[in-house]
Amino acid sequence: MRKELERIEIPGEHETRERSLRLLLTAYAERSPAAPRRSWKPVFALAAVALLAAGSLSPPGRAVLGDLREAVGVEEAQPALFSLPTGGRLLVTGDSGAWVVEPDGSKRLLGPYRDAAWSPFGRYVAATRANELVAMTPAGDVRWSLARPSARSPRWAGTATDTRIAFVTDSRLHVVAGNGRRDVDAGGGPAPAAGVAPAWRPGREFELTYLDARHRVATFAVERPGASWRSIVLPDTRQLVWSPGGSRLLVVGRNRLVFLRGSDGRAAVRREPGVTAAAWAAGGRLAVVRTAAGRSDLVVDGRVRLSTAGTLGAPVWSPDGRWLLVSLAEADQWIFIRAAGRQQIRAVANVSKQFRSRAFPQVAGWCCAR
Amino acid sequence: MPAGRDERASVRAAQRGSASGIEALFRLHWPRAYRAAYLVVHDTAAAEDIAQEAFIAAVRNLDRFDRSRPFGPWLHRIVVNRAIDWTRTRQLRAEAELVEDVPAPPREPLDGSLLGALAALPPEHRAVIVLRHLLGYTPGEIAELLGLPRGTVNSRLRRGLDSLQETV
Repeated sequence: MRKELERIEIPGEHETRERSLRLLLTAYAERSPAAPRRSWKPVFALAAVALLAAGSLSPPGRAVLGDLREAVGVEEAQPALFSLPTGGRLLVTGDSGAWVVEPDGSKRLLGPYRDAAWSPFGRYVAATRANELVAMTPAGDVRWSLARPSARSPRWAGTATDTRIAFVTDSRLHVVAGNGRRDVDAGGGPAPAAGVAPAWRPGREFELTYLDARHRVATFAVERPGASWRSIVLPDTRQLVWSPGGSRLLVVGRNRLVFLRGSDGRAAVRREPGVTAAAWAAGGRLAVVRTAAGRSDLVVDGRVRLSTAGTLGAPVWSPDGRWLLVSLAEADQWIFIRAAGRQQIRAVANVSKQFRSRAFPQVAGWCCAR
Repeated sequence: MPAGRDERASVRAAQRGSASGIEALFRLHWPRAYRAAYLVVHDTAAAEDIAQEAFIAAVRNLDRFDRSRPFGPWLHRIVVNRAIDWTRTRQLRAEAELVEDVPAPPREPLDGSLLGALAALPPEHRAVIVLRHLLGYTPGEIAELLGLPRGTVNSRLRRGLDSLQETV
């Protein structure tokens, strides 16, 4: 039987293997360095003390699922972002501009940018302001800029040595090399639809996906003419999210998730009432936010991880795939939820004030342990 | 199933930060991991996701991996359990094909004999068949990999093989 099982032909097996290797090598290059081994004795001792104290003193800023009251937000929230619960850096945008947040909670204002995105490996940031696309270091040193009308929604992809930035203007989808040169009108198809950012397909050499003004999702290789495929009409599309390996594209629509097969765009639909946003962790876990009748649920792989009054924002995974960050604008809070191992919730209040923003700040990315 | 010398060397190299070490592990284990996932889920995209996620999980935990143990069972445990989970979830949360007025592309063809017969089995039965007859584990090893009693593994193998024989 073994020979028969080995003889079964699997379509596209060779291509799958090669792109999976590229993806794995990228993940390997991005992984966090090993933490030094340490003795756990002091940790156990501290844990025992903490457990004794827990009976009379609830640790500030922490709660577990079920402890959330009906009041909007997490009651025991930290008054400020003192640190991130795990590695990586946040990229945040608000009225005051784009900010980088370090793991120790320190923040740096990059400048008055409205959209921003990390480069692969988090070495640079692409950001837009009225009529300009800018590439800079996370310290805010501008490397180059490109004047384009109403530039927005930058998305940066590639390897350590060869990258491209996709961005949108009023009538065009652009792709420019990571050094700011060779800005091209990408795809040659219909103009992009407003409000939905393009998405790079992982594991492929610069395959870009966007929603066009006719509400079809198109995927094409930017170095080759013509679309690889174009989907059926999806009029209610809110977000495009590729699976970590690039084998499926998730299209978040109104009350439904549509999965488009990466190879040909064939669509399968799943009802998901109230869905507003989704995010795939690098390890393949899918987080979905559903909102209905003034309440929101954060669902990870089909299991509700957080249920609260108010409207949760789009979920963002930590680089190690262990934590999720969701925003709750009504409470002016960010909520960090540990999605691996023992569940834990940490909330941070006064988010708008910390980023000097009247509108609630948006998390544009959580990238890459240093 | 002890780790071979080459595999141990590749794990050691990968733990030290060598991309060639991780590539060697990938080349050694990908074909069977991907095939095992495919034979359980019968969907190329899902199999690709599952095998990739298993390798990425392995990379993330590489620093904690005990080099004296073989890499394959560690990986296969992740692959097969995820494949079973995926198939169960798929059955619970059905995805319907969405088409316009154009005819849908044909579904992935199922092999007329063995592949089609495998698809008719419950995912738990497919998994033990794949572990036993593709990956070559003993019933005792399968029981350990899947966290099942050995008797359950044996009965699933027997029932699965009976069904395959009836169909093929």
